[in-house]
Amino acid sequence: MAELPLKDVKILDFMWVLAGPGITRMMADYGATVVRIESVQRTDPTRTVGPFQDNSTDPEYSALFGNNNAGKYSITLDLSKPRAREVVLDLVRWADAVCEAFSPKAMRAWGFDYESLCKIKPDLIMLSTCLMGQTGPLSRFAGFGNLAAAMCGFYNLVGWPDRPPSGPFSAYTDYIAPRFGAVALMAALIHRKRTGQGQYIDQAQAESALHFLTLPLLDSQANGRKYTPVANYDPYHAPHGVYPAAGDDRWVAIACRTDDHWRALCASMQQAGLAGDPRFKTFDLRQLNRAELDRIIGEWSSGLDSHETERKLQAVGVPAHAVQTSDDMWKDAQLHYRGHYVQVPHDRMGRTYVENSRFRLSATPARVERAAPMLGQYNSFVLEKLLGYDEDRISELVVDGVLG
Amino acid sequence: MMLAGCRVLDLTTERGLLCGQILADLGADVIKIEPPGGSPVRSLPPFFKDQPGPERSIYWWSYNRNKRGITLDLETEEGRAILRRLAAKAEFVIESDNPGDLGRRGLAYPDLREHNPAMVYVSITPFGQDGPKAAYTDSDLIIMAAGGTLILYGDEDRAPIRMSVPQAYLHACVDAAAAALIAYYARLNSGLGQHVDVAAQESVGLAAQSTPLSAPIHGAETKRMAGGAKMGPIRIPLVWRARDGQVSCVFLFGSALGPFTRKLMDYIYGQGECDQATHGKDWIAFGDMLLSGKEPMSEYERMQGVLAEFLRKRTKSELFEIAREHNLLIAPVATIDDVLQNPQFIAREYWQRVENHEAGGSILYPGPFARFGATPVAFRRRPPAVGEHNREIFCGELGMSDRDLAELARKRII
Repeated sequence: MAELPLKDVKILDFMWVLAGPGITRMMADYGATVVRIESVQRTDPTRTVGPFQDNSTDPEYSALFGNNNAGKYSITLDLSKPRAREVVLDLVRWADAVCEAFSPKAMRAWGFDYESLCKIKPDLIMLSTCLMGQTGPLSRFAGFGNLAAAMCGFYNLVGWPDRPPSGPFSAYTDYIAPRFGAVALMAALIHRKRTGQGQYIDQAQAESALHFLTLPLLDSQANGRKYTPVANYDPYHAPHGVYPAAGDDRWVAIACRTDDHWRALCASMQQAGLAGDPRFKTFDLRQLNRAELDRIIGEWSSGLDSHETERKLQAVGVPAHAVQTSDDMWKDAQLHYRGHYVQVPHDRMGRTYVENSRFRLSATPARVERAAPMLGQYNSFVLEKLLGYDEDRISELVVDGVLG
Repeated sequence: MMLAGCRVLDLTTERGLLCGQILADLGADVIKIEPPGGSPVRSLPPFFKDQPGPERSIYWWSYNRNKRGITLDLETEEGRAILRRLAAKAEFVIESDNPGDLGRRGLAYPDLREHNPAMVYVSITPFGQDGPKAAYTDSDLIIMAAGGTLILYGDEDRAPIRMSVPQAYLHACVDAAAAALIAYYARLNSGLGQHVDVAAQESVGLAAQSTPLSAPIHGAETKRMAGGAKMGPIRIPLVWRARDGQVSCVFLFGSALGPFTRKLMDYIYGQGECDQATHGKDWIAFGDMLLSGKEPMSEYERMQGVLAEFLRKRTKSELFEIAREHNLLIAPVATIDDVLQNPQFIAREYWQRVENHEAGGSILYPGPFARFGATPVAFRRRPPAVGEHNREIFCGELGMSDRDLAELARKRII
């Protein structure tokens, strides 16, 4: 088996919640040794958020935590204890990169800011990721990705024209920022490998996420265009929508970009008159009369199975897909072909599932073999194997409550 | 710059432009390769002042800065031969054609690897390079449906809806950039390149926040709800009405989120806008009490009513000030114009002014996606005009003469 590309990379991970741990999960997939610092008093909030295995709210049963932290080690430390600080500093000496996702003042308060850590590890890479960045008037504004998404303009882009915007699902910037964070960390690791130089990286999750809104940001300046939610309207496609399918809350998405798509759709619907209907003859007319068109398609689709419609339309080259629920994803032939779902052993649950890396490297594919760490599960591994502490030293830490 | 000296050939269609721009931001020399006459992306609206033209597409402007641009007809053997010469010295090739399309032109990974085994070749496609759905046709909406996110967006009494600005391939592009750098890191050790296969379906799945795992682990299903979500039986609103618009506000329980709710209810109580019993709930245990039936769901709805009343009486900016002062989880729902005025991004000098001849001035672009202490992201170039760097590359690097160049242009290869 090929060596994993990041097998020599060691990461000390002060991340928590979603945006931060997503970065180090990617690193772990490709071989980095990642050691998370966890607090027993202030557990990672994602341990309290579902989906939960077997619907148990045991903090070790959260698949949200499990998915974001698979393949990592962790050590529980009570950072209010001075001796915990010694452990952290030994881990800094061990690490190539320190990553943290607290609000800006926290690391400084502990004395774990970049300037201090550089004194003991001059070629350190340190990545800080937070909502709004380390500087500026809103740097102290902490919270979750829903708040950054609201301030970036994403919330105002999802909704029906006749209702207030409904916003994207949950903490949208938390699904953009980890990818950019991984890019930033990899770029810094490459630079360090080539030059020996470490550096500090300040990632404002909002600033990363705004790259997903470049088009409206430029259009607004160039043309003064106002952006408001338009449900499923699309300027390049007609018809374009989500149509009812047989069953409860079942839907199929259909998007016709070309006249060929449109004619193939009409043929599939077996409504010979539709393709020649003067109301829908050209793209512009289909766009103009889309309410009526959506009604006609919806009438046709509503009695049919969403997957059946997907297969039928794709067979004639029309962009279409069932709107997949969790159950559909689990049964999706393509995701299974790609090995998207990975079963991993877990000491408490027996076994559980995580999602695979979201891309495939032909020569050095990801290896996803270990579940997320349970609280305290790897304490002795980290202290003994990674830091080389002897038994006496470890028992002192236990007695002093440092590992609490 | 971090990727100084790295050459990237960007063959992408409209799907893949952001990937090359990220590598360009990191200092790579990214050459965008367009067919003679210019990329089809240049004909995509919106246009500057809504007037079409190859140098006026805002779509093109959005994701091609910091790149150089050449034209090359890959439908001809002569054009492909030139591409192979360039590929022999490139560190990265990025493409986003349908699986097999470049292979039919002899430009797939195995074809180019022969001339350059150290190359990292990145493919961005809807469903991946192979498998039962690899040949599916797609669009942004189709990928969102297939990736498990669309079902979570919209109002429960209507069809699911997507975000009004396409997002699917942007997720895939950033994954592709991360994957390309992991592959490049591997090459620093092994000297060998490889093929990176990014499927947009899997990339967008991250935005479903692990809910695709509900089925295999027998967890409760998450369902869409206007301005929030339903997790099992609990409705979680995230968008609330303020006096002059909307705010996002988190009102949740448990050991991690309960303390924020306690602070929020402390404030509301301090303003005399709720009674002591409401304010004094156990916000950490409240969720469990709802699930066990110890607190009825109607009590949670009453609490939400108290909060809704508090928020509705105040403006977005008043609420944001209160949130900042008391560390509450409330933020205004901004418009695109609001974003450009946000004092945080201005104070951090985030917006980057890029000269644009067509705009008759300059336009502000989103700035660095991260701030690097030693090797900052620099804005070196506006998006290239059609064939702007033909002479630089073909004559300067491949040693062609002006006459060769004229001959290629006559044959419409460039």
